[in-house]
Amino acid sequence: MSKDKRNSIVSKNLLRPISNEKWQTITIPLFSIVISFIAAAIVIFLIGKNPFQAFYNLFQGSGILPKPSYAGYKSMLTDFLSLLNAMTPLVFASLAVAVAFKAGLFNIGVSGQMLVSGFIASIIVGYSGLDAIIAKPLVLVIGIIAGGLMGGLVGWLKHRFNINEVVSTIMLNYIAQYVISFFIQMYYIDPVSRQSKYVSEASRLTLVNVETANLKMDLPLGFILAIIFAIFLKFVMDKTVVGYEIKAVGMNRNAAKYAGINVGRNTVLAMVISGGLAGLAGVTYYLGYFSSIQPKVLSSIGFDSIAVSLLGNSHPIGVIFSSFLISIIDQGSTYMSSQAGIRQEIASVIVGLILLFSACGEYLKHKVGQLKETEVVRKESES
Amino acid sequence: MDTVIIDGLSFALPLFIMAIGGIYSEKSGIINLALEGFQGFGAFIGALAVVLIANASGIDIQQLFYVALIFSMIGGMIFSIIHAVLSIKFKANQVISGVVINILALALTTFLTTQINALVFGTASDKFQLGVSDRFTIEGLANIPVLGAVFTNVYPFEVIIIVIAFFAWYLLYRTKFGMRLRASGENPHSVDAAGVNVSKIRFSAVLISGLLSGLGGMCFAYSISANFSSSIYLGYGYLAIAALIFGNWRILPTLAACLLFGFARSGGAFIAQLMELPSGFTDLFMILPYVLTLLLLIFFSKSNSAPRALGEIYDKGKR
Repeated sequence: MSKDKRNSIVSKNLLRPISNEKWQTITIPLFSIVISFIAAAIVIFLIGKNPFQAFYNLFQGSGILPKPSYAGYKSMLTDFLSLLNAMTPLVFASLAVAVAFKAGLFNIGVSGQMLVSGFIASIIVGYSGLDAIIAKPLVLVIGIIAGGLMGGLVGWLKHRFNINEVVSTIMLNYIAQYVISFFIQMYYIDPVSRQSKYVSEASRLTLVNVETANLKMDLPLGFILAIIFAIFLKFVMDKTVVGYEIKAVGMNRNAAKYAGINVGRNTVLAMVISGGLAGLAGVTYYLGYFSSIQPKVLSSIGFDSIAVSLLGNSHPIGVIFSSFLISIIDQGSTYMSSQAGIRQEIASVIVGLILLFSACGEYLKHKVGQLKETEVVRKESES
Repeated sequence: MDTVIIDGLSFALPLFIMAIGGIYSEKSGIINLALEGFQGFGAFIGALAVVLIANASGIDIQQLFYVALIFSMIGGMIFSIIHAVLSIKFKANQVISGVVINILALALTTFLTTQINALVFGTASDKFQLGVSDRFTIEGLANIPVLGAVFTNVYPFEVIIIVIAFFAWYLLYRTKFGMRLRASGENPHSVDAAGVNVSKIRFSAVLISGLLSGLGGMCFAYSISANFSSSIYLGYGYLAIAALIFGNWRILPTLAACLLFGFARSGGAFIAQLMELPSGFTDLFMILPYVLTLLLLIFFSKSNSAPRALGEIYDKGKR
């Protein structure tokens, strides 16, 4: 057998699981996840630790698998709930990126939009004495409006002045970061923690330390909302005129224009929706997962979400699963490093690798298509 | 007043060299958001090299400045291969590839820095200490009023950057390679028709951007931060991209944009100091460069034109 032929057979068998086009949207991300876990296993093996134990610890730490022992008031359920708590802002942020992406825009400013909405919600509601029943919905509304306005500004600058959205979002990220840091340090600083003052319990979107059945758990209310929003977004994108127009603009601006679609309005609209979702990410992050804002720091969620959204194929439901996976790795890393003695930073390396491999998805698709073609040609020549 | 010029230049020039790298890549048609990752990884390799050499030979780290620069360029270039392979061979979305590379660079260098510190030096540290590079003053010229500040307290890397920048300008605008590179970003099919391999041109353009970004990152590590740690990822790579778009993808206007950033930054700090405002106000003055950019973009963006084939995956069969 010639070497060429053997090679093609090897690669064909390797690619067989992802060769069905119908399932490629799911199989290709799964394929890249498996490859990156193998790569991470090699790294862990090289530094002299047991990769399987490390991965097992990762799942234990995030509440997917039971730990051998728990501290008081803790159980697998509380771990799992804190996983959902950490995951909520990531889902919103990734949805934000996905919507913009559908319209052919890159919203790199999710972090800035998160910070602005989180800050405004904090000072208006978080430091007021409002009751929970008014405060919580108000926080959500303020989050959506503040984020939506920030996003809309970017869309408008793009439409009206032809300013590349990548540049304007980066600039706005910096401006938001410094201006808010100024206000926090001048007016809202907590002298002990060096962060902004803690917001009231009533305004937080996560109920902390709820005691039931001898457990103290954090109930992330925003998580339910995130799922609802994801489903709603899928509906809007697939079944409504608005979604159709946004997608049409994203695929080809000129074609959309000739078809009579108002490109400018849809650009702004997509950015408003995207910004609003980023705003929700902001309030669930700064008034949910955390309860204060650290000055001069932009959350890394804004950038991670770009890649998480890619891993989920920019599909609202896919985004939920990809955020779930990334959050597991993030949350479980502390437990893994304490149990297996592996540095916590390896977790972000694994995440980076997953994202890197999933960026190659298009190539895999192309490669699979090519192999099929050659197969067809060969079969034809044989018969 | 002198400090404004001195600090402004030492910030603007590393930014400028990174932006030139970005121009090379984008002029060839490859969107490059990965500058941030390249500069960090380059600085990591440079810092790692000098820390290891200093440890083995006992030479003072300050003396190894030029070694660090060379290694940082190599490191940035090696890391940029990922972006080149992903966006040229694997036909990945270039923006996503860039963002992913930035995430990976941050994760990888943070992990490796702590791991190597623990394994080689037995310390629990997340940074490589480098110190600040020596500065020099050109005696006669430094006495000229106002402009003299340009020749005062100059970092050696500023001179290196100017030399490289001039060479890069010559390569891009005055050579056959530069012309082909620019054409690959405007009309890759005509380049192909002329018998030139578009992929190769783009590949080398991305490698050049990695090399120059690595250099820029190392300069930041040796001046502003005085060490290598994850704090090198302050977003200067993104700032360089903003500068090059602001500079309309041309080297000289980009220099102006970088100088604007540098002087607005140092000027803001200077004003805050002069008015004896509490330290919180420094943050407010830090937004100056970014607000200025946005405002100027509003006036100049209409005439901005990106390379026409920017971000398009080159497909030979497509017409």
